[in-house]
Amino acid sequence: MPTVILIETTYSMNSSVRKYNVEPYKPLPSAVSGLCTLLDQIGHSSRLEFVCLVTYSNQLEVLVQFTRDLEMIKTELLNIRLTDKFNLIEAMKSVEKLILMEWGSGIPCNVVLVVQDNYVNLNSRLLPFSFPGNLFICSLGPEVMRDPVPSHPMNENNPQFHVHLLQPEVPVMSHGIVQMFAKLGEKHYCSWTGNLACGNLNSKITLSPNPEPSFKVTDFDYATYTVDNNLEICGFIELKHLGSPAAVSRHLVLPYTHPSHGKAHAAQRSAHSSGDVDDEPLDEGHTPSFCVLLHGALKVENMAALCQVGNNWYGVLFSWADSKKKSNLMLSLLEPGRDSIPWLGDLNALHIPSEPPPEEDAFPVKPPDKKSYSQNGVVWIRQGGIQSDIQKILRHARKIPEKTQQFYKELNRVRRAAICVGFLSLIDGLAAILDRECTLLPSSTHPACAIQLTHAAQALRDSLSKDHKYIIAPMKMSF
Amino acid sequence: MAAILNPSTSGAEVSLHPANHKTIFVIDHSPEFGAQRESVIEFDFNKTRTPGFIPLAPVAKSCWTSSVECAIEYCRIVWDLFPTGKLIRFIVSDHKAQVLNSWNPSQQSVAHMSNALALIGIPPPPAPDPVFVSSVDHGLQEAVSAMCECTDQQHEKRTSLNDNVVPVVNRCRVICITYGMNKDKVVEMGTKMQNELYLGNKFAASSDLLIPVDHCELVIISIGNLLVESIPNYEVSNILSVEMHSVKTNGGLANKFTSLILKHYNLASTTVTGIPMKEEQNASSSANYDVEMFHPAKAHETLFKGSSVDLEQIKTLKEGFEYYTVILKWSTPRGCTASEMHNCTAMHRITPVDVNSRPSSCLINFLIGGRSVMLEVVRRGGVKSLSHLMASHAGQIYMHSLAIGRSPHEDPPSISEGTGGRVTDYRITDFGNFMMQNRLYPMKGSRIHGTTLKRTKPRLDRHTKFWPMTISSTVIFNYKQYLDPILKIMLQPELRESDVVQCKQCIFSLIGNEAKHEPLHILNSGQRGKGTKVSREEQYKQLWSELEAFLRAHCITDKHINVLNCLLEVRSRDASDSLDKVDVDMALRELDQLNAKVERASVIRATTDSPLSPDAKFHSSQSKTILELWVSKFCKQKPRPEFAGLATAQALGGGRFKAKLYPLFKERPPNASKGGGKGPSRQPIIEG
Repeated sequence: MPTVILIETTYSMNSSVRKYNVEPYKPLPSAVSGLCTLLDQIGHSSRLEFVCLVTYSNQLEVLVQFTRDLEMIKTELLNIRLTDKFNLIEAMKSVEKLILMEWGSGIPCNVVLVVQDNYVNLNSRLLPFSFPGNLFICSLGPEVMRDPVPSHPMNENNPQFHVHLLQPEVPVMSHGIVQMFAKLGEKHYCSWTGNLACGNLNSKITLSPNPEPSFKVTDFDYATYTVDNNLEICGFIELKHLGSPAAVSRHLVLPYTHPSHGKAHAAQRSAHSSGDVDDEPLDEGHTPSFCVLLHGALKVENMAALCQVGNNWYGVLFSWADSKKKSNLMLSLLEPGRDSIPWLGDLNALHIPSEPPPEEDAFPVKPPDKKSYSQNGVVWIRQGGIQSDIQKILRHARKIPEKTQQFYKELNRVRRAAICVGFLSLIDGLAAILDRECTLLPSSTHPACAIQLTHAAQALRDSLSKDHKYIIAPMKMSF
Repeated sequence: MAAILNPSTSGAEVSLHPANHKTIFVIDHSPEFGAQRESVIEFDFNKTRTPGFIPLAPVAKSCWTSSVECAIEYCRIVWDLFPTGKLIRFIVSDHKAQVLNSWNPSQQSVAHMSNALALIGIPPPPAPDPVFVSSVDHGLQEAVSAMCECTDQQHEKRTSLNDNVVPVVNRCRVICITYGMNKDKVVEMGTKMQNELYLGNKFAASSDLLIPVDHCELVIISIGNLLVESIPNYEVSNILSVEMHSVKTNGGLANKFTSLILKHYNLASTTVTGIPMKEEQNASSSANYDVEMFHPAKAHETLFKGSSVDLEQIKTLKEGFEYYTVILKWSTPRGCTASEMHNCTAMHRITPVDVNSRPSSCLINFLIGGRSVMLEVVRRGGVKSLSHLMASHAGQIYMHSLAIGRSPHEDPPSISEGTGGRVTDYRITDFGNFMMQNRLYPMKGSRIHGTTLKRTKPRLDRHTKFWPMTISSTVIFNYKQYLDPILKIMLQPELRESDVVQCKQCIFSLIGNEAKHEPLHILNSGQRGKGTKVSREEQYKQLWSELEAFLRAHCITDKHINVLNCLLEVRSRDASDSLDKVDVDMALRELDQLNAKVERASVIRATTDSPLSPDAKFHSSQSKTILELWVSKFCKQKPRPEFAGLATAQALGGGRFKAKLYPLFKERPPNASKGGGKGPSRQPIIEG
């Protein structure tokens, strides 16, 4: 996940600190060498990570914009200019804004706060940030730090944001500070590795960025969902059926490359080669990988693979290309739960039949209820609603006898709706309108028209008409 | 997590057990309420004013009619947006209370409500003898009983024996529509309600079926010709809060309801602007229209969190109302967007605010017809971004929120740069076919056990048991035209006798080809295999050895083994007779015989080993007891599903099983978010 390093640059950061009769240390140089260790760790485990370096004096100063070129940040760390003041609260606000501007609120981000103070006062209104991720408070002071934020109440607003307090071992020495950053790197920047399997085919993979646990609250429950190390494909779905379901996060699926030894981890376990043993050593690029095979086929067929990524948690694998036409395998982690794509139905209730079922039993899964917008219901809250309903009746009325059925259908619909909401004066009003319409009919009109209108107006005035089960029927005519 | 459990009135949308799970409308049904005019509707909207024109009297809507309309509209919006879990009940109150529906989902529909209201009818005329006093108090009293009834979800959670279940907090909302309230009357009503709640809870506590009310929010709406001061929400006690909204006749009620529903369900409004529509009569010209819709407020999160969008620019106060609407521009759809995976961070159902207006239905028809449209937002600095996608799925319209920030995936490495990226002869087409054969479909029937993976894994395992990934690492899949029946048939879990014959015929015909020195032709000459110059003998050698490996991998039933044995037999004969070349006649003769003795062909050399590691040749000469034959023939693969008890049983080892009686007694139906995953193993393994 993108990382912002916010480093305090006051003059005191560069003066010697000594306590408990140990070797004195200067916080800034120690922190810089610690951060370099951390950057090395990040570069080693996740080379697609973005890091940004900022400091704060009168305002936020972005020393290095978000970049994957970590060497640039190391260089800049060595050239830090010292200043005379640092305002933590303002700095934190600016960092939050910076991240929201750059990445929005949906992408987890880390903030590494490097400060000298042994007491960091962060008020709870500042935290949590409105994006998911972590705040690592790295304290360089010689004193044991008190917990700056009561961590519980904040979780209500953003349970996906965590605050970690890090400090070097006491008595604090330069070495301890470097160790602190190294530990941060080991714990929070190790890359995720796992296995992607489809039956007996599988491939060791990494995901970029790392998948994070997902916390979900529903009306009756809450739970944290974590991604398994074994991602198993359940089956395949055409992209046109999949729609574009919401994803909590998206990850590039990269075949795992072991940093040291080459081809030992050959991705294919079960495919037996027919016996022609190749004596030439193969480099990794030439060792077949299930990931690449899967990607190629998904791309050609316009399909996606549904895979189970955890308990009651599903993901979708598909081929994705950025604007530069570089194609990749992408994993979208769906909302946790079995109902994260309503039009596919219960994701725990899918199967692969031996014969494809008829069209009507395939996707999408029809919901039992029909929405108001596809039901032709009656809504008269706004005057326009009544007017258009009555005008529709009159339009049909003028075209009797061709539209006799439609006329009575609309008439009964309006009458019935009026009864439901107790709007009985409308029914009498409707009768009056029909009566008047009769008088306004041009001479060319079919005689049936006047007869039906008069019949309908009479029927509306009848007390039977106030029963919602009653249906006004057309007058039977013999011509 | 403790914080989330604490009842809190703020931020209800993110916390558990929101009050909007149970809403009760109490509507005044007194004679006075029916007699009062809420609004007058000008009935004479006929444009043509010809001579001899008879003017029509306007019609009046009563307070009752308006209240019912507003309550129904409230339901319409809620149920359009939330298909489950947001329940509403109606109680009408005159001299007694009448309950129109229950918490049962089958009674939670606008159609049910309309029918019930039609039966109730308009408020009665004033009684000359006021023995029975009409009042909403009866309705409020009944509302307390309704609140104490469990909904299906509450019941399920309460009776669950799972320790991890979050205890149910019974929060409810009562919306009471009446007239002529003032401060004193509100206080009085609050006190009465408090007493009713006290009694109701006391009764509920002594019952297993009822659930006490943890918190009730009483929203009083008072219609009148004059406005009185509204009373903001205040706590009467720790279980009751009261608020009162005074609304004026002639539209005030509908207006207020719109504000309330946005607050109660945390909804927001979006106006799609600039939708080009053509008139039916005049297809050549088109005009632009706006359509407003409601949806959960979270659909705007990408716009509001993250400050790349100037909110002041896109948010306007809706004219004549108390809420804001966000204006997003229609972006004329280009091409087909359905088969593309958009970077969608959230999706929410929408419902048009004015459901029957012509622009609304035009947009709805466009979307229901299967097309989709992007909505565009202007960001700071004038850059336009596509922020939402509107599309319908299975007849329901959704608003997908698209990620508009920077992507952490920018400039990714191509998949061809990593492991396996330089391999150029992957069997892409074959894997495509494999995917087509393993497409997922919804299951029919309501009782679903286990997970999709549990169901599909055996099949996927079988189909990938022998699956070389590259063209150069396989021979048999490159000679599909010779081997197709075997390659397909052997993947089936069960073989019919005719399948076995077909496979054998395939083997024999290849043997025949080999004997006739016919070279093998690769079907797709465009694809290149590895050792391009392979002698004919070598070709066949590779083919036979890979075919044997393939068949060995698929020995799951005796019939599968039968096919392997056939291969081994003809091959060994082939090898021993190699000096005499192959006896073609013999092979062909065998082929004929085979057809003749189809029925007897299954008299098998069965094995009691695990079917996955057979050495059929070794066992073939051994004699079997009847029991062994029986077991091996009938007990390995169950052609029909296991008895439910056995299927869910736990294996204790030693071939013994333990099945739990009445499993549902303990494990209630799996809960929606955490269940599953530990479903029973379908096929206990019988240890031989």
